[in-house]
Amino acid sequence: MSFYRIGEVARSTGLSVDTLRYYEKLGLLRVERTAGGVRLYSERDLSRIGFIQRAKAMNFSLEEIAQLLEMRDDPQHAREQVRELTLQKLRSVETQLEQLETLRRELTLLVNLCRGSEEGCPIIDHMDEEA
Amino acid sequence: MKVEIEVFSAPACGKCSQARERLRAVAEAFGTDQVQWREVDVLDDMERAVELGVLSTPAIAINGELVFTGTPSEKALREAVENRLKRPPS
Repeated sequence: MSFYRIGEVARSTGLSVDTLRYYEKLGLLRVERTAGGVRLYSERDLSRIGFIQRAKAMNFSLEEIAQLLEMRDDPQHAREQVRELTLQKLRSVETQLEQLETLRRELTLLVNLCRGSEEGCPIIDHMDEEA
Repeated sequence: MKVEIEVFSAPACGKCSQARERLRAVAEAFGTDQVQWREVDVLDDMERAVELGVLSTPAIAINGELVFTGTPSEKALREAVENRLKRPPS
C-alpha cells in the first residue's frame, strides 16, 4: 500500500498544503500519521480529495461535501437527509451536464463555421458587431 | 402529407447558397402543398441548430430530423422528400 506525504499530495492535486490541512481540520479527511506526527495520505485519501475537488468545481459547499462524503463512506447506512442531498446533487450534476452538452455543441458549431469560412471567422466578427 | 424542411446556413458559408438553391429547386418541383422550407441562420437561431444536432453548415433537416450535413445532390434531396411523403411528386 502506498502512502504519500503532504507535499507530494499538494503537488499531485494542485491544492496547497494549507488547504489540505484545512480539509483535515473540517473532518473532510482523516489522515494517518507516523509516530513522529508526519501525515501519510493513502490512495483512499487521494480518491477522497479528488471527490472533494470535483464537488467544489460544481460549487458544492464544504458543508454539503462533508455530507456527501458521509454517504460515500457508508451508502447503506447514510441518514435520510444525506441521501436526499445526494439525490439533489445528482440531479444538479445531470442538469449541468445537459447544459454543458448544449454549450459543447454550440462551440463545435462555431469552430466549424470558422473553419469553413473563406473569409476568416465570421462568427467572431458577428459577435463583435453585437457587443 | 406535407414535409417541412429547414436548411441551416451561416454568413460567409461558401456552400450554403448551393444547398439553398438545390433545396429551392426540389421544393418547387413538389409544390408548396407538399414541401415547405425555410432557411435558418445558425447565428440567429443557434438553439434550433443545436437541438437538431447541426454541427456545421450547410445542413438540412426534414420534419425536425437532421438528414444532410453538407450539400446533398438534388437526387438525394428529392428521394429524402419522397420517402417522407410516401409518394412521388406530381
